[in-house]
Amino acid sequence: MSDGYRYVEQHTPPPPQRVSEVAVTTFEHVFEVDPRLMQRWVLQQTFPNWDTLRIMNSRHDHLDWMHVHFATRVIQGSEILAELDQPGAGTHRVDRSAAPPD
Amino acid sequence: MTITADRVEDVVAALRDVLRDDQVLTSKADRYHRSRVPAPFPVHRWAERLPDLAVLPETTEEVAAVVRIANQMLVPVIPRDGGTGLTDGAVPLRGGIVIDVKRMNAIHEIDLNNRTCTVGTGINMLKLNEELARHGLIYPDDPASYPCSLVGGRIGTSGWSLIGARYGHTRDLVLSFDHVLPTGEIIHVGDGIGGKITKSSSGYQLKHLFMGHQGTLGIATRATLKLFPKPEAELSPFWAFDNYDDAYACTGALARAGVATFAGAVLFDEHKVAYLRRDDEAYIPQPDDVRALVCAVMYGYEDEVRPAGRRLMRIARDHGARYLGDEISAGDWAARHDRYATPLHGRTKAGQVVPMSWHCEDASINYTNLPAVTRQWHAIVAALRRRTDVFDDWGMFAYTNGSTGTDYLTEIDVGIWEQRLDDQVWEMWVRAKRDLAGVSLAHGGSISACHGSCREGEVDLVPDELGKGFDVMLDVKRALDPNNIMNPGKYLLDRAYEPPGAVT
Repeated sequence: MSDGYRYVEQHTPPPPQRVSEVAVTTFEHVFEVDPRLMQRWVLQQTFPNWDTLRIMNSRHDHLDWMHVHFATRVIQGSEILAELDQPGAGTHRVDRSAAPPD
Repeated sequence: MTITADRVEDVVAALRDVLRDDQVLTSKADRYHRSRVPAPFPVHRWAERLPDLAVLPETTEEVAAVVRIANQMLVPVIPRDGGTGLTDGAVPLRGGIVIDVKRMNAIHEIDLNNRTCTVGTGINMLKLNEELARHGLIYPDDPASYPCSLVGGRIGTSGWSLIGARYGHTRDLVLSFDHVLPTGEIIHVGDGIGGKITKSSSGYQLKHLFMGHQGTLGIATRATLKLFPKPEAELSPFWAFDNYDDAYACTGALARAGVATFAGAVLFDEHKVAYLRRDDEAYIPQPDDVRALVCAVMYGYEDEVRPAGRRLMRIARDHGARYLGDEISAGDWAARHDRYATPLHGRTKAGQVVPMSWHCEDASINYTNLPAVTRQWHAIVAALRRRTDVFDDWGMFAYTNGSTGTDYLTEIDVGIWEQRLDDQVWEMWVRAKRDLAGVSLAHGGSISACHGSCREGEVDLVPDELGKGFDVMLDVKRALDPNNIMNPGKYLLDRAYEPPGAVT
């Protein structure tokens, strides 16, 4: 059984961790502009935690949908790198002799 | 509004002879919704862009009937599809009738044997591809506005596709179409006889004349499109570099490699990386030594894409690239199909967040001229920003135009605080746009690869770009649109009419 919706709990995100001079993070994969930079023209909005996570997860859902829309499957670059790193596979260098100077 | 209220009533009465009442829209909301495109403009002058009314035809014959009435009554006509273009093609500059084609969105035929489909031009590519996927097919015209732009607008713009290096751009993918001329006559254009023919040497190549005219030569209503197998596999590695020069060299090498499944490469410059590190969750955690980025994308069967991927990955490694990881690679590429959904804000020089709209200035630039154009474009935007916080440099991309790496869609993204665009700052921006276009031409480039070039500023240089070809444009316009009713005020085409245009 669900514990239900608790207002205080929903409005208490994890303590922000600074990740750059201009951004902080709260939940994993959730980044926010440093609140000091949103004090005059655009004020930072308060979201309940469930909504913050919904927005973040929806973004991933959208990207997953777009992949399926354009191709049956996505080959990951790490798979290709692993193939290159197999013994003998990664030693071949691309012949650039025919290419113009970069 | 440019015609008097009495005349609007006369026009509405005439239109109701050929359309149902619900197809003729006159309310304030209906008109305001069809008066702008996403490109920032001085919003205090919004009223100057209002049409007098809008119509929603459902057939080619209805479009032709509306245009005949407009031509007879000397009322401007503005074709409008998705309204996503970035050079104001769908913006009414002199009131008149907006012809909104969104109800002409039927799929009339899917020809599985000849690999074509025939559609109403009001259909969106995403919705079309949902249906084509049921047959294992795709129509691979893929602009950054993919979820919201329409086939007809792509024709009117002669659009550019993200994956054009693999499948071609709109001009290559649209085989033929029905087209309503400014006098209301209906013609069919394509290669030779048109229809489902992909190559003909018969007669003039009229298809290209009626693409990219920004609605100044009429309205495409029904189009036959080339189809491909829906790709089995996609691979889109992103790589990081600690300097622009190596990333630039890598981009050129990837594009010149001649890999058959290669659909495109993108170069992100230092300003773009700095912008992303500031405001994009995927890049905020990236270390400081990530200063330029490159991505490549491949589509095809898995047994084609894997070896292609190994070849391009080796090329990237040879140029000092560091693979950025699967999550960014797959996620960022998927997001490129849908750039219009991005919520936008910029910063003042003091760092405060301000609401900003996105201006994307594009050009077609040869590979060897990319670094020089990049430097000069940034200098122009930097000069603007020194004078006012209305503008914010969001960096530059260079996207391959084709599969051989000859030239690149080169874009600088500029955040513009639209609500602060008064007449003085707007004029500052128009001068900057003229300067940006001038840099492109000085380097042998074209003012636009993708959007068209009929906005204030850039349009002033179109006669320079086309030379005597611009005089031919004027002759064609005058011959096909004797009363200057079709999207007047665009592309300096009023010069075709002496004395000045019949509709002013």
